Amino acid sequence: MHSPIHALYADHHGWLLGWLRRRLGCPHGAADVAHDTFVRILASRDALLGLREPRAYLTTTAQHLLIDRARRQALERAYLAELAALADSQPGLAPSPEETLAALQALEQISAALDGLPPKPARAFLLHFLDGEPQGVIAATLGVSTRMVRKYLVQALLHCHAATGGNA
Amino acid sequence: MSATARDNDAIAAEAAQWLVSLRDDETQGNAAALARTHAAFTAWKAADPRHAEAAQRMEALLERVQGLRGQAGGNARPAQAALNAALSTGQRRRRAARAGAVLALVLALAVPAAITLRAWPPAYLMADLRTSAGEWQDHQLADGTRIALRGGSAVNLRYDAARRTLELVQGDILVDVAKDAARPFVVQTAHGRIRALGTRFMVERRPDATVLSMLESTTEVQPAAGGAPLRVQAGERLRFTAAGAEPATQWDAASAEGAWRRHQLVVNDQPLPEVLDALARQRPGYLHYDRAALEGIRVSAVLPLDDTGRALQLLVDGLPQLRVRMVTRYLAMVDVAPQP
Repeated sequence: MHSPIHALYADHHGWLLGWLRRRLGCPHGAADVAHDTFVRILASRDALLGLREPRAYLTTTAQHLLIDRARRQALERAYLAELAALADSQPGLAPSPEETLAALQALEQISAALDGLPPKPARAFLLHFLDGEPQGVIAATLGVSTRMVRKYLVQALLHCHAATGGNA
Repeated sequence: MSATARDNDAIAAEAAQWLVSLRDDETQGNAAALARTHAAFTAWKAADPRHAEAAQRMEALLERVQGLRGQAGGNARPAQAALNAALSTGQRRRRAARAGAVLALVLALAVPAAITLRAWPPAYLMADLRTSAGEWQDHQLADGTRIALRGGSAVNLRYDAARRTLELVQGDILVDVAKDAARPFVVQTAHGRIRALGTRFMVERRPDATVLSMLESTTEVQPAAGGAPLRVQAGERLRFTAAGAEPATQWDAASAEGAWRRHQLVVNDQPLPEVLDALARQRPGYLHYDRAALEGIRVSAVLPLDDTGRALQLLVDGLPQLRVRMVTRYLAMVDVAPQP
């Protein structure tokens, strides 16, 4: 059986690895991302669409993965740093590694759901649903009307709804 | 078809309006309004299963968002900082990708896919004797046998008329077996058994193998898969897995015992993850590391087990490519530093 994926892999895996290695400067990470790129292509049903421009297709997919990784790492680092600062001021605070991992996973899901939302609706959403700020306070913070804040919040909820497998 | 999609969009928009109204009443602390909105929302959900479905998915997401405060002692700041960092990374994406700035971020932290999170398994919690991280214990058993446990170790004891069995669940022990010709002393691990009459030896239970280090006299080792038992003599060290044993090597028994008494870890050309495993058992906190990424690094060192922070520093001093970051007092991460 000579599948298109096989051909894609055989023809371009080495090239993709070289491309990633130049970008990352790290053979280990490059191999990981190259592997994940093919896994993602295998998992996606539109694999055949890319075959006319296989290398552009591969680098686009790999680029997405690099961005995902960067986002995940920025998230993890900011979370752990803040948690550390908090733990220093609250000696009793010592979440277990399982709790920390669960929180990081939840954060990743939520950040994926919010991805693509413009900055103001995203800010409003977090201030309201995470921090519990009233709409009036958010309006003042963002410099918009309360009605606009309400619009942002509905927009953010709908965005998340669609992102988490909403209406096709 | 498209009518259904339009319906679904409208339903989702209504559900979002309801949830925003509810949260608004909540943040304003208006109990009466909250009760009214809640009742009306419940009626709306009951009116159509599609309403309930849309509301349920959004509520689940909001519960996750609110749940983020829980683990930081009710404080939303860590979650807020994390999401803002992630969102701004997402928004910078094109510029960042073009400028290659993304590379620095990618290299900053190795993928935490294989992060080692140490948790105490049930077998440890139910063991007869166990030590917590950093704790050292000495026990004298009824037959005169002495067992010393290093931190993060656990053993079960089963003595009967025919034999004395010690199951090493995890960790490191030093055993001084009292002679009893009628009842052999057996140390059992998942990888096999060590049979002794009267001897002194150390056993380390690693994830993938058991390591026996003889101090005095001899023992017999029987890997779990079977085969002829192997005799191991004083001054020899034997590493075995369930499948079989590697050839025994010579080691410095006298200084090793002194190191145990001084609470030191002596390693000689050992893979770094094994050394970190041993330090992690001593450490009251969590040590994160990616086994696969560190597997190729070998270490020879004498490390203080009662001060694992210093032990980690000594490792970094000896291995410049290594990086240790104390994220908090209870969370340290070890990885290979990115090349500049």
